Amino acid sequence: MSDKNKGLSKAQEIYLNRLQRVKELKAAGKKIIGYPCVYVPLEMLTALDLVPYRTCGDMKEPITEVDRALPSSFCPIMRTCLDCALKGKNDFLDGMVTIHSCDPQEKTARVWESYTNHPYFHFIDMPITVRPEALEYFKSQLNDFRKTLEAFTGKKLSTDKLEAAIKSHNQQRTLLRELYELTKPSPPHISGTEIVQVVKALMSLPVAEANDLLTEVISEVKNRTDGPEEKSARLFIWTSILDDTDIMQVFEAKANVVMDESCGGIRAYRAGVKFTADPQEGLANYYLNEITCARTFRQATLGETRKDYARDLQSRFGYLRRIVKEWKTDGAIMLLVRYCDPFAFEIPSLKDYLDSLGVPSIYIEYDYTIGALAPLRTRVEAFLETIS
Amino acid sequence: MVVEKGKKTINRLELMHPLRAKVNETYLKSIEAIQAGKPTVWGMLNFYYGDPILKAMDIEVVYPENYGAIAAATGVAQQYLERADADGFPTHLCGYSLNTLGYTSRMMKELNGQIPPEAPFGGMPKPLFLMSSAAICDARYKWFQALGRYIDVPVWALEAPTPGAKEFFIEGYYDRMVDLEVKHLRDFVAFVEGMVGKKMDWDKLDKTANLMIEINRVWHEVNELRKAKPCPMHSRDFWSAMPAALFLAGDLEDSLRLYQDMYKEVKDRVDSHVSAIPEEKYRLVFAELPPWHSLGFFEKLAERGWNFVVESFGYRPPIPIDLSNVSDPLERISRFNLQFYVGYYEDAQKQNVLGGTFAYPYLKYAREWKCDGALLHPLISCRSASTHLPYVADMLMEELKVPSLSIEGDIVDLRLFNPEDALARAEPFEESMEHYRKIRRQEGFDW
Repeated sequence: MSDKNKGLSKAQEIYLNRLQRVKELKAAGKKIIGYPCVYVPLEMLTALDLVPYRTCGDMKEPITEVDRALPSSFCPIMRTCLDCALKGKNDFLDGMVTIHSCDPQEKTARVWESYTNHPYFHFIDMPITVRPEALEYFKSQLNDFRKTLEAFTGKKLSTDKLEAAIKSHNQQRTLLRELYELTKPSPPHISGTEIVQVVKALMSLPVAEANDLLTEVISEVKNRTDGPEEKSARLFIWTSILDDTDIMQVFEAKANVVMDESCGGIRAYRAGVKFTADPQEGLANYYLNEITCARTFRQATLGETRKDYARDLQSRFGYLRRIVKEWKTDGAIMLLVRYCDPFAFEIPSLKDYLDSLGVPSIYIEYDYTIGALAPLRTRVEAFLETIS
Repeated sequence: MVVEKGKKTINRLELMHPLRAKVNETYLKSIEAIQAGKPTVWGMLNFYYGDPILKAMDIEVVYPENYGAIAAATGVAQQYLERADADGFPTHLCGYSLNTLGYTSRMMKELNGQIPPEAPFGGMPKPLFLMSSAAICDARYKWFQALGRYIDVPVWALEAPTPGAKEFFIEGYYDRMVDLEVKHLRDFVAFVEGMVGKKMDWDKLDKTANLMIEINRVWHEVNELRKAKPCPMHSRDFWSAMPAALFLAGDLEDSLRLYQDMYKEVKDRVDSHVSAIPEEKYRLVFAELPPWHSLGFFEKLAERGWNFVVESFGYRPPIPIDLSNVSDPLERISRFNLQFYVGYYEDAQKQNVLGGTFAYPYLKYAREWKCDGALLHPLISCRSASTHLPYVADMLMEELKVPSLSIEGDIVDLRLFNPEDALARAEPFEESMEHYRKIRRQEGFDW
């Protein structure tokens, strides 16, 4: 029997009650900083002894407050995030860091700042391309972020501390990749549902605690005998964010989800920050270049004057080839949260790419509410029948 | 008020007609040039950033956003929308984008690159390259990237820095934005030169930049005159006249002269107390694009005394800025483009209004143009243009006690706008405007 204070059980506990630990830390004098998107460079918060806490929405919570601030035909994730904030659920935060990772993030940030009253609030602008001048600009944005954090904390962010924080967060990325290695066997040693719990727990803890938890989880999963059973198909899910076990269970009812390319899954952990003379350089490069969100405009060659669709697809989706091959996936779910334009525009091209790899795929859309999950189940079952 | 059948209530500007005719004539000339084989670029509205480069390089630009409106108004959009749907694009995407994707799919997959015969206004020929823009929304660069399924032409995605309202005041922030824009534009020029096989005429670019800035300065001054009571120029004239300044449509020297003449006409009206409608009872701000297919709706409202005196910030010229001491035309263009994004920031900070351009311009307009109400027109399939509207309504009421009326519509699905339903809501809204007029006076506002 597993220890409730360790490993997977602990991750589940934290997932179910995310606020408990940060409130304890707050009571102990730590400052808690919220962030709504994985593009926020957490290393800079960690280096100043601030605790990053990902502010999520709640698909089970009825929307009651946000209509005065955002229209109904708008990203449901940001609507529920802000709705929770307007209900005071994030009032314990000492600050918020928002970022222009996509249009809804940027627009919600402006409203968020206006309607809430955190002692610290910062918005990081983010270019859309990975061109050299864009990288330089983004680096300057991180430098501004550093300055405001220093003013807020009254502490200097030293290179040593930043490098140590990068090391800790890189360790977390390495550990999470190691955990995903454990979904390669058939049956996988850990389910997609458990991974959602683990990743959300990581986003609720200081990095050192999170790494300890992850180490325990890996050890437990490697040695467990009660892992998931083998099901009819091995799936990977491509989506903007998948951070609720109820969604994952729709897919795992009759299949094994062995990879979730989402912001609640591997996306923010696939690579690591490179150590550079100026650590902000490495951070800027990692966050702009390495995270594979659809929001970034990628090309086969920067400024290309000739275009080839196959090369273009490779530059945008090439990272999926390894997933398909090494995780031996039978099918892919392109899961779209309604009104998410960056991901929505990718759907037909991603299907083209998956077709070229010989991977069957299905596009499914929902509105990030609990009520939307039943129809999803029917569509997933139909898809599983076609591929099995 | 009883209005004779066929007689227009809105007193349109005389100078709007030649300006509009010039734009239309230029458009037709452009179509002829394109049909004769001149290189064409598909461009996104980019707020004075990429357009002057293409203008100086004598490249014809068509704007699929505008073409989406034409396709909708002429009834051909539906087949393109259905085609995009069949190709797997989600139906809740921007209507203009779906129109372009469906159009391009038909042109390239069915017609081997030939313009579809049903396409109105000569259609959009296969472009040499695509110039997208990160300004305002994600769709406007993802959409052109998605076109890669159909056409193997390169895409240049123009960057658009988007500062936070508070962060903008961090030391050196503005200069870093300028630096990004200038470097980016320099690379864009090299890209365009490579695509068309000729070098930039820098003197011509210099002149183009100056004309663009001056046209928009005069156009700004025209709109300043609309603060007068009664307001001499209706939003209908604004929308008719804006393409020459916003898209740099037409010959820039001709446009400048016509805007200057328009200024004189509006000034004469101000001096003579001539109103844009017979009896101005209510002054309103209109937020977002109008229902292009139902502009007669504004005649009905004019009959009720509704004068539309100011419009969304996104289509208005930037607040003038003196760039005469900036010698590099790329830097001048970049600074002018940035002025569109950040021109209101300093004022907003003084007034302690967060949200950058999200709500502040509307507060400024309501205050300075003395508006009694705001007519908001959220566009179902254009989320980015509509996102701020609930917040605008909330802020207008909170800060200035100005009420808003929200009437939904769309940029492509014309059925979503119901003028009868909208008109039925006019009378109760007039009561609301009357009520808040009293409240404002009680609270010490001067209108």
